Amino acid sequence: MLSFIASRLARAALTIVFVVTFAFVVLRLSGDPAMLIMSVDAPPEAIVAFRKAWGLDEPIWQQYLAYAAKALTGDFGNSMRDGRPAIELVLERVPMTLAITLPAFLIKICLGIPAGIFAALYRNSALDRLTMMVSVAGFTVPSFVLALVLVLVFSVQLGWLPSSGNDHWQSAILPIITLGLSGAAILARFTRSAMLEVLGQPYIRTASAKGVPWHRVVRGHALPNAAIPTVTIVGFMIGSLIAGAVVVESVFAWPGVGRLLVSAVSNRDLAVVQAVLLAIALSMVAANLVVDIAYGWLDPRLRRGRAQH
Amino acid sequence: MLIHRRHFLAGTGAAAGALALPRFAIGQADNRPTITIAVQQISNSASLEPLREQSNVGERTFSFIYEGLIMRNLLSQMETIPGLAESWKRIDGRTVELSLRKGVKFHNGDEMTADDVVFTFSRERMFGPDYDIGSSKTLFANVLIRDSVEGKALPPEVMAVAKRAWPALEKVEAIDKYTVRFVNRTPDVTMEGRIARYGSEIISRRAYEEAKTWLDWARKPVSTGPYKVRDFKPDQELVLDAHEDYWNGRPPVKTVRIVVVPEVASRINGLLSGQFDFACDMPPDQIPGIEKNARFEVQGGLIANHRLTVFDKNHAQLKDPRVRQAFTHAIDRQAIVDSLWAGRTRVPAGLQWEFYGPMFVEGWTVPEFNPQKAKDLLKQAGYKGDPIPYRLISNYYTNQNSTAQVLLEMWRQVGLNVHIDMKENWQQIFENNGQRAVRDWSNSAPFTDPISSIVNQHGPQGQQQQAQEWSNEEMNRLSIAMETETDMPKRKAMFKRMLEICEREDPAYTVLHQNATFTAKRKDIKWKSAPAFAMDFRHYNFQRV
Repeated sequence: MLSFIASRLARAALTIVFVVTFAFVVLRLSGDPAMLIMSVDAPPEAIVAFRKAWGLDEPIWQQYLAYAAKALTGDFGNSMRDGRPAIELVLERVPMTLAITLPAFLIKICLGIPAGIFAALYRNSALDRLTMMVSVAGFTVPSFVLALVLVLVFSVQLGWLPSSGNDHWQSAILPIITLGLSGAAILARFTRSAMLEVLGQPYIRTASAKGVPWHRVVRGHALPNAAIPTVTIVGFMIGSLIAGAVVVESVFAWPGVGRLLVSAVSNRDLAVVQAVLLAIALSMVAANLVVDIAYGWLDPRLRRGRAQH
Repeated sequence: MLIHRRHFLAGTGAAAGALALPRFAIGQADNRPTITIAVQQISNSASLEPLREQSNVGERTFSFIYEGLIMRNLLSQMETIPGLAESWKRIDGRTVELSLRKGVKFHNGDEMTADDVVFTFSRERMFGPDYDIGSSKTLFANVLIRDSVEGKALPPEVMAVAKRAWPALEKVEAIDKYTVRFVNRTPDVTMEGRIARYGSEIISRRAYEEAKTWLDWARKPVSTGPYKVRDFKPDQELVLDAHEDYWNGRPPVKTVRIVVVPEVASRINGLLSGQFDFACDMPPDQIPGIEKNARFEVQGGLIANHRLTVFDKNHAQLKDPRVRQAFTHAIDRQAIVDSLWAGRTRVPAGLQWEFYGPMFVEGWTVPEFNPQKAKDLLKQAGYKGDPIPYRLISNYYTNQNSTAQVLLEMWRQVGLNVHIDMKENWQQIFENNGQRAVRDWSNSAPFTDPISSIVNQHGPQGQQQQAQEWSNEEMNRLSIAMETETDMPKRKAMFKRMLEICEREDPAYTVLHQNATFTAKRKDIKWKSAPAFAMDFRHYNFQRV
């Protein structure tokens, strides 16, 4: 189990290095921050001075080495827009994003998994069809469309909830519902497929034939075996807790990490974009690591298979 | 209707306070409203310092906070009017003397005096310690924004912007407590315009000196405007309180909240749901939808900014001026204004504005729409239909993509083989690789003289020439001469000749239409928009009905 965890950790570290390197190169090749931050009408001398001041006139490999050396000491650079450490700007926004993504995550789990299980257990029934119809709708409608529809109904027509911002706790309701509903729809579909596959297995038939009550067959045999594919999706959702709300944050003007990323990219505020991407990569990699370990715990075959090596 | 927690708490607090107050105070209860304005952005540079934030959104934000010695009339045609200076007079061609208004208070309670004016234009605040009065070259200190966070070092762009605004300012001196003199190195008739321009706002010396870092200052500046900064969260919101000691009448709004809502649809929905009182930066195609609701209206203002199509005369197909002339005659500008702007803007008289006053060239127009003439010019130039690239950034300007498509079709009609070359950023737009031919741009007039627009952008120091797109020997000679020419009829003749060169004979650009900005608002608030991005919330321009 230890070597299993160690190999996963090494792979995680490599992924993060790749992400940071790729982002560094692509960002620098795709646009000049000087003209974006200082405006297109800035005097040419000011643009030159800005590039020099931020080391943008150095060859890209020199810039990368300097960045990497500093990053190893925990210095991820300063925002070109306001001079503060990039990592500080990102950490400031994380709680705001979690304030909507965590409750949305709970909605996804509490709504999506039971819906998928019931749809599978009552396959081809009216309940199944209704659940899947709603799920397909939730899955295919883009989150910004759902967000605008919710705003039109609950803010503009009914006047019950604020349409954007973060002035009061009610402001979080629509973003949470938007994120939660689309995620629950995805989870319901995956859970249903996983359950259907397991329910068709011979050991389920055997257990039923032995006279084990159906609810015990489902609890004891079907659910644990259907959990593995579901855990993969849940893991992905945990990984996107920090970055999964970019569109929703923009539509609802919610000041989280997603909006910081959008504004940093459009301004080519390189250090901030990289700090955000690093935070996203870390959360995604950490979630994958947890999922990998959870596989071993959920599936004794995987655990034992690794142990034998 | 929403009951905001903040409103509830404020209401509870006010009620509790009212019980505790002596009886005489109750009669003077402050019933001024709090208003919320949704904008696309408060400040692109995350600062509230006009010398760093050179943008349209910044102009809007700063109109609440800052004031200059000479101001622009926001409720008329942006002509200059007395501001913090009651009057001014010319001492000679390079000296202007201004009498300051007495009793004007800064947001921190200090009285504004000549000392603050002198400090505002000092090396310490504007030009940097290395500023050389005798040199016409812009000097830069190698400082980072990071350094300015730790100390008072000016970011390099502040000095660059200051030098661009005041290229030949020798000194500003205090004659007495309420009299100052601006002295230029060379004779310059545009000094009053420069005093009135964006970037010349007056700040409190004590407040600047008390700020620990430059960034602290730039996040909470102190000037004399009707509203003062309470809290600024970049990319989120700016909360402004009424400046109770304001010299020009009690501000009619108690608190102004400017909130960043990047999506147009979200700004409109917030307005319709009652969350916002004003929603700025409305695209023209959204106006009918908003005005369907009788409770709302959209106010539009032509702004001092013209949209241009710019030419690179070094491109193989554009070397012959007749090809560029053909471009200018192929455009039906009025059709663009009518179809894409619903007639809410106009085709101006070339690159000039009426507020130029005596410098406005009457009778001048954009090139006539004449497809036959365009075809003839192309024939004379021997244009064989070779491809001409048109570099485009997606919707940097309002309606930019649709305008580009319309232009493409108009040019195709006369035989110009133009193709769109989408670019992601301005660096790619300016990249000089032989494939640069046509691109979009706009031009503003920060003050009431052509020096601020045609010379600033297309003259020898302007960006078009710096980027080696276009140059014209006569235009350059005129630009240099005009900087120091003080005889108005002569200056006007020079300007007319510049227009002839840049817009007709050797086209550097062609004007498409004037730009406009639209603000949606509640109808039950009586308020008039300005012909600018600036918003005026003084006592004479706000009333609840």
